[in-house]
Amino acid sequence: MFTSIIIIIFVLISIFIAFAIGANDETFSTVHGSRTLMMREILILTTILAILGAFFLGKGVSETVGKDLLNIEVTDAIALTILISTAIWLIISSLLGIPISTTHSTIGSIMGVGILIAGFGGVNWLKILEMSFWWLLSPIIGYIVSYLVYKLIHKTIISKLNGFQDFERTERIFSYILLGVICLTAFSRAGNDCSNAVGIVVGVGINLNFILIIAGISFALGIIVLGRTVIKSVGKITELVPSSAFASQVPTAIILFAGTFLGIPLSGSHMLVASLLGLAKARRAPVKKGLWKVILIWLLTFPVAALLSLLLYVPIDIFI
Amino acid sequence: MKNKTSQDINKLAKEYNNELLKGIKLLHTLIHDFINHKLDKSKLDGVIQAEKKCDRIKEQYIRVLFQDKRALPFLVEDRYKIITLVDEGLGRVEFFSRFLCVYPFEFYDEISKEFSRICEICSELMEELIETLELMETDFDAAYEKTFEIEATRREARKIKFDLLEILYKKTDNPIKVYLTSKLVTYLYDIISHVEDIADYLRGLIIKYPTR
Repeated sequence: MFTSIIIIIFVLISIFIAFAIGANDETFSTVHGSRTLMMREILILTTILAILGAFFLGKGVSETVGKDLLNIEVTDAIALTILISTAIWLIISSLLGIPISTTHSTIGSIMGVGILIAGFGGVNWLKILEMSFWWLLSPIIGYIVSYLVYKLIHKTIISKLNGFQDFERTERIFSYILLGVICLTAFSRAGNDCSNAVGIVVGVGINLNFILIIAGISFALGIIVLGRTVIKSVGKITELVPSSAFASQVPTAIILFAGTFLGIPLSGSHMLVASLLGLAKARRAPVKKGLWKVILIWLLTFPVAALLSLLLYVPIDIFI
Repeated sequence: MKNKTSQDINKLAKEYNNELLKGIKLLHTLIHDFINHKLDKSKLDGVIQAEKKCDRIKEQYIRVLFQDKRALPFLVEDRYKIITLVDEGLGRVEFFSRFLCVYPFEFYDEISKEFSRICEICSELMEELIETLELMETDFDAAYEKTFEIEATRREARKIKFDLLEILYKKTDNPIKVYLTSKLVTYLYDIISHVEDIADYLRGLIIKYPTR
């Protein structure tokens, strides 16, 4: 009886984590910003992709959270603390409509719990320092690549267009490519994120397919309930049309994929926001006011996530 | 390959432009009749009917425009703005026709030449505007050049307008006739001025598009 209750609680926590990650998912923001699809269509599509992604790609359960970053053994309580504190911070930032890096939030939580258990020696600072280099580089790469890609597209394609009909035809082609890439990204992202979310319930006797579908639904619900605010807010950073959305999103997705392949921890959210700024610079288009809030939340991610894990570890450890 | 909706849009735009041109040409003929004291006022109803027909086509155009879910919203917005601006111009044409219908005097012969010229300019500019609108669909560069031509012609019309007003304001025969004739000149010039406003808007639109 007690075991069943524990399992149910773990499943609920998994659902909560999937919901939180979905709530901060900004994948479709450029599709919304360029008005390639309306929000209702995005939500329908994202729900389908989340469930399919979770079901088909979610089975490769992720590595143990924080394995390389902590100099202590990662127990279930530590893993759970990291996931829950990350999820809480994701939900808070989603409520503010600000996209944050899930990785940064996770690392903030890892630092908090590591320091609490074993002092400063509990955290692998060298690894953190190595990763920090890439965190700083992510937005810079996003900005530069997006700037250059837009300039290239403008010079080779856009500047040669003449008349509404020409423009309409070309932008339509860009919107199809953009949509295809975004759907693929959303599909793989849902698989990866749901895999992380259900990691804590793997091996407790629940059908994995069932729990992955539930996680996919929760992920989609996260987007529907809170994620739409983030999607809208990122999509409004600068004025977008399908070609410019393509210039900001597609290279970002390719670099992110290459980064994942090479084991470089780049932040998708930071890259996307920076690439939209690079795009605005390239197009000499205005940028939405209040971006300082985004930067502030990014800077607060580490301390707040660390603080949350500090507060949550003891009750979770007692419970487990 | 074009989809059905974009074919519909183009067809309706062509229909609208034809009807608009028909109305303008009729007005042009009728103004000449008016100057030559041969105007059959009942014929002015033809201009009003053309405006009504254009209105119906415009409604259809807007419906089709917003029906196309795959259309790019910024293009929808721009096309919508253009049709409403042109419609406003046509509204002024209709207003002028109604005014001419109730104008109770014979026209002054001594200003008939200038008035005839301003009327020709109005007709020419409307034709140029329609040409520019068609070019907007396929050739921004040519449309851009056309907008400057419209502006230059409008300047000529402005000079004629003030020449006409100068002559009129010196007249002492019948103050009401002077007043109403000056209104006739002003309302005709208003159509020309609005055509230039549309041309200005189109120029801004072309610049806004990242092709330039």
